[in-house]
Amino acid sequence: MIELMEQNQAIGIVTSGGLKENLQVRLNGSPQQVQEGSFIVIDSQDWKFYGIATDLQLQSIDLRYALEPSRTRLPETLANLLDCQTLYTNLVVLPSLMLERGPEPESPDYTAWRSTIDSGGKEEPRPMPVKSIPAHHASVFLAGAGDVAEIFGKPTEEGNFVIGHTREQDHPVCVNLDKLIQRSSGIFGATGSGKSFLTRMLLAGLIDHNRASVLVYDMHNEYGLDDTASDTGENVRGLRSGFGASKVQVVGLGGSATIRGSAPDFNLVLGYSDILPEDVELLTRELNLKETTATVLDALVQSLGKDKWFKSFKAMKRGSVIESEDGKKTPAPDSVAFWANQNGVNVMAAEGLHDKLRRLFNKAYIVESPPADSIQALVEALKKGKHIVLSFGDYESDLDYLLVSNLLTRRIRAEWEQMTNQFRGKNGSEPRQLVIVVEEAHKLLNREMAAQTTFSTIAREMRKYYVTLLVIDQRPSQIYDEVMSQLGTRVCGWLGDEDDIHAVLSGLAGREALRGMLSRLQAKEEVLLLGWGVPMPILVRSRRYDEQFWQDIKTSKKAGFDQAQAIKNLYGD
Amino acid sequence: MANNPQMDVQVGRLLRANTRACVAGCQPAQRFPAFGALVSIDLDENTSAYGLVADIHIDDDGLVRQLVTTPNISEAVIQDNRVNRNVPVELSILFVGHRSAGVISHRLPPRPPLSLDRVRACGEGDICAFSGAGRLGYLRFILDAQDFPAADLLAAHLLQAGRAQRDHGDSQWFAQAVDKVITQLRSDYDRLMPILEALADVQQELGS
Repeated sequence: MIELMEQNQAIGIVTSGGLKENLQVRLNGSPQQVQEGSFIVIDSQDWKFYGIATDLQLQSIDLRYALEPSRTRLPETLANLLDCQTLYTNLVVLPSLMLERGPEPESPDYTAWRSTIDSGGKEEPRPMPVKSIPAHHASVFLAGAGDVAEIFGKPTEEGNFVIGHTREQDHPVCVNLDKLIQRSSGIFGATGSGKSFLTRMLLAGLIDHNRASVLVYDMHNEYGLDDTASDTGENVRGLRSGFGASKVQVVGLGGSATIRGSAPDFNLVLGYSDILPEDVELLTRELNLKETTATVLDALVQSLGKDKWFKSFKAMKRGSVIESEDGKKTPAPDSVAFWANQNGVNVMAAEGLHDKLRRLFNKAYIVESPPADSIQALVEALKKGKHIVLSFGDYESDLDYLLVSNLLTRRIRAEWEQMTNQFRGKNGSEPRQLVIVVEEAHKLLNREMAAQTTFSTIAREMRKYYVTLLVIDQRPSQIYDEVMSQLGTRVCGWLGDEDDIHAVLSGLAGREALRGMLSRLQAKEEVLLLGWGVPMPILVRSRRYDEQFWQDIKTSKKAGFDQAQAIKNLYGD
Repeated sequence: MANNPQMDVQVGRLLRANTRACVAGCQPAQRFPAFGALVSIDLDENTSAYGLVADIHIDDDGLVRQLVTTPNISEAVIQDNRVNRNVPVELSILFVGHRSAGVISHRLPPRPPLSLDRVRACGEGDICAFSGAGRLGYLRFILDAQDFPAADLLAAHLLQAGRAQRDHGDSQWFAQAVDKVITQLRSDYDRLMPILEALADVQQELGS
């Protein structure tokens, strides 16, 4: 609300610029009063403009004033007077939003303006993308709490999750969780930049908000149970520990899986019949499969059946021969070669595939007859609103991750598509929104894999089917462009690689101005929020994932949160 | 008279004038105002012109040209030549504003004074009133002066006015004047820096 906007002290005035080349602001005082990424407000007549500081430049009226310190020629008082007028700092502001605030509230024009809105003659002003620029000498301010709340929402409103605070003035910045889950999102940052903590925090917010089920592919067993921080050695609370098993269930891969010595809530065991040829084809790079693989797999399915090919192929023997009376060796009936000859498949290709699939045949989590349909149990739990953290336990190889996550996601996609179609055909209830969290996303969504995996389909199309992705990665440049372009909200920690920075900023306005900012973020402290899911790019000091965070979660609205007191704390009486 | 007569002392009469400046003559024996001093000339009952003494000429006459080469000139002869000489001391006055119906303006006088109009030295009250009026816009006349030593004229004036303002309770006036000078000349580094160095000496004299 406009009424909440308190007036800070102006830090400078607009001197030049435009929509394309950003706005130039001459600062009144020291350059240290504002930092790169600061949330800036510009007050220009009846409009407010909102932007982000992207650069600071030292300037002088004449270069000689800068090159020769005036104190060497003049006494301090005169030198100060001279420096004040000849040396200054230019702030570059990337304008993002504008909001009509109307005439001054005390003026007669304001009454007329307000009554036009109240009578429906004009829409209630709301922030919109910049289509104009502030006037010369418009006053420039650091955003106040009211400005931040106006743009990013009030922390007390349902669905708003405080992800961090503005750097200079510590005002809470919210992410709207309902908007976040409408499209796929991404959390990026180089290793050690605090991605895992940020992810835990955001997931806790999503689980607490409870508008979507969350399925986490927890490749490194980080999110479900308590962990120990690698840098501080302190205990880091897991999601199940935080919310309890009634809300969050930890699923272990394999029949006897344990996660750091603790038993999971249930185990995920795959049956032979769960493995389809497309699951194997996805492992082409991992298993170094040949071009003939697709042909051999097709022949296996045709000859042995979709449900039994894996079991039967596994049972075949490699190099088994029988010797006739005349000493001639021929493939034994239970051999791969025999099957190949019978089905017109190149023997070497079939034997080569058999050799390479041996890595799958030996996986303990793939059994002939699982004790229960654990995939279906997992899907049902998600449908009922539970949140699942699938821990890979000891199966931390890329092969395990690629196979299981893709297989599971394929099943989920089919299930949610069916539910959505039933809902649209008025034969069922509305499906529950699902967010699939994918770690090391580039392994599943790289250029080579993206066309084949279910994940890229989800990123592109599944929004309509109530399924979105939350991809977590340290190498966004390795993720296929088409997938990256579909990510609505991007939360980005420090990135050093130029290609990664370019990838995160792809498709965003003002990316040139934001580029340097990403490489100068403070690791584990600061993140840049970007994309469709946030009204404008903003740099925030991320919230700490600690006991206080969990205390805040527990005392949220649903647990008797004192909204009135919170508003009072934020904005005063 | 437009000015306060108690504060003013007549120092001479006008010889010639134009819109921007004038020249006054005064008796050599008379104590004439210093370089940079503020003077006023009544144009009519309601209007006075303000100016700064921007140059002081002491021209020779026929007698002094003979005396100057004479050895052993007596003190009496020297004093006679100084007191009774026919050629006056000429004060070049740069107009910097005017007062009309009691209102001080930092614009050129509406018309130049006429010959033999009286030139008066301004007292501290008048200096404070004139230099404290408006936004120090009159400093532009000094900085733009082509025929006078602008830097030294400015320094001399700011010393006089700075003292008067300080003695009347405004110790910030000098800094404000320097700030104005910087504003006017900041795009001309080569001119500004020597002027500021001159003003640094003034500041030291003012003790501010």
